[in-house]
Amino acid sequence: MEQKVLMVLRRVFKDATIDETCSQSNCKAWDSMNHLNLVVELEMEFGISLEPEEIARMVDYAAVVEIVKTKI
Amino acid sequence: MTFVFRNNTIERFFSDGEYAFSGYDDYGAVPEAERYIWWYQVPVKYNQEQLITEVESYLRRLQWAVSQVGQAPFLILSLELLYDAGVVRGDRRLVNAIDAFNQGAWQLAAEHTNVSVVDFGAFLKQYPAAEWVDWKFYFLSQMIVSPRLAGAFGQWLQTQERALAFRRKKCLVLDLDNTLWGGVLGEDGIAGIRIDGDYPGKAFRYWQEAIRELAHAGVILALCSKNNEADVKELFAAREMPLKWEDFACMRINWSDKAANIRSIAEDLNIGLDSMVFVDDNPAERELIRQQLPMVAVPEWPAMPYLLPAFYDRLVKDYFAVYALTDEDLKKTEQYRQNAGRAQAQAAFTDMDDFLRSLEMELTISPATEVTLPRIAQMTQKTNQFNLTTHRYTVDDIQRMLDHGARIWTLAVKDRFGDNGITGLIIVTDCGAVDTMLLSCRVLGKGIEHEFLKYVLGQLKASGLEEVHALYIPTEKNRQVQDFYDKNGFLCTREEQGRKAYRLSLADWDEKRNTIYKIV
Repeated sequence: MEQKVLMVLRRVFKDATIDETCSQSNCKAWDSMNHLNLVVELEMEFGISLEPEEIARMVDYAAVVEIVKTKI
Repeated sequence: MTFVFRNNTIERFFSDGEYAFSGYDDYGAVPEAERYIWWYQVPVKYNQEQLITEVESYLRRLQWAVSQVGQAPFLILSLELLYDAGVVRGDRRLVNAIDAFNQGAWQLAAEHTNVSVVDFGAFLKQYPAAEWVDWKFYFLSQMIVSPRLAGAFGQWLQTQERALAFRRKKCLVLDLDNTLWGGVLGEDGIAGIRIDGDYPGKAFRYWQEAIRELAHAGVILALCSKNNEADVKELFAAREMPLKWEDFACMRINWSDKAANIRSIAEDLNIGLDSMVFVDDNPAERELIRQQLPMVAVPEWPAMPYLLPAFYDRLVKDYFAVYALTDEDLKKTEQYRQNAGRAQAQAAFTDMDDFLRSLEMELTISPATEVTLPRIAQMTQKTNQFNLTTHRYTVDDIQRMLDHGARIWTLAVKDRFGDNGITGLIIVTDCGAVDTMLLSCRVLGKGIEHEFLKYVLGQLKASGLEEVHALYIPTEKNRQVQDFYDKNGFLCTREEQGRKAYRLSLADWDEKRNTIYKIV
């Protein structure tokens, strides 16, 4: 699951070097538009639906993994 | 860079390539871009009055945007109602406002060659209406169209644009047996041909009616069939059918191979093979053409006659769709038919002069008048091949030249096959320089150009002029006339990078006119 999340991050931000340290503060490509793209890609990848509160809390890789875990 | 006019969040729908986006509803200064896309969406509003007023304001904005971009490609996505929140059923005002916008968009496309419209509704219809909008994303980012549709949208838009770039074909070449009618004439006989009554006759009748509409829209029809021409003619005379013998500009009904026949149809009509579509039910014939003439479009033939309406729909969309018809489109079949008639007549003569004489040509050469000014300006704008200097003029330019003492002659050509109207132009300045000499390619190949020039030179000489100057300015397209003045006895006085200056002394000039042409 963690690997899949990383894959989605790399695909959305178009950056193959992204790792577990990725966050909104250190990743330039993670802007508001790409945040939505990330949400759509995660939802399609895992077949889940993320709530607006969860979407707002997804500020870094760890948070994304934590939230996705509760959904699948 | 592509600039997108929008009133909602749509960035996600444009991922490949470089895009810039207008503000929502913003129409301040339009930045320079290689191309433009207009994608407004009906906003989410419950107050119908406000919503209608808003939608009604879009067309003016669109017209303004189009006026700002010059000749850059401008693609408009049709406006679609994604979320219908109206309470009063039967209130058509919003739908009408949306329709009015889309009508206006198509109108713009008809008026501007750089503008085109794609039907976004056709994309939406592939999905259930419940999937069009994802409200969560709407509230998070003001994105009305569901982001899940973005991938499919990108592909769809690309396909649409490819289709738009596709040049409209000019000529539809049709087989006869089991293509225009059911049955084989040589086996089933005139009475056995299925073209009315029950299926499959009815299906072929609909198909012929459809093809007749194509011809009305300016598509040239040609026949290419392995049959005896006399039998086919007899069938057209004996059986009532939507398509008549006269609807076809050119026929090749014989037993020689279809590749050679199609090539000669192209020659007769004077069009390129890449502007032809060949429709034949016989897969072997289709394969032959695909191999021998790969530039000719050869669509697959439907397996059953009842599939012909769908086949016709694809045929139109793939090859013959057009935004608007010009008068020229409407007259085209007639003109091409006349030209094909001339070419066939030519084949029957071995001596060129005999052929020309048989055409009973009448050249009407007249000084420019107020009535012909627009046509004169139009010819300078449109004529590329037989045009010695390719100067482009407006009506005002022409008027100014006349005011400064220029002399202008137009040429109209008529022969026993028809009247081509005004197709030639010579402008001579007050100091005796040929500023413009051009001829439409419709009338080329009969020596008319020499006769026209001789007549004008005669007029100039009679008016006391002693010397005429002329110029050839090379372009991509006018190579065929680079020796025109040499052939007409002019003396080349200077040549620089293909540009040639000429002189002709009228005192010594006394060219006899050719009696084949009657000059009126």
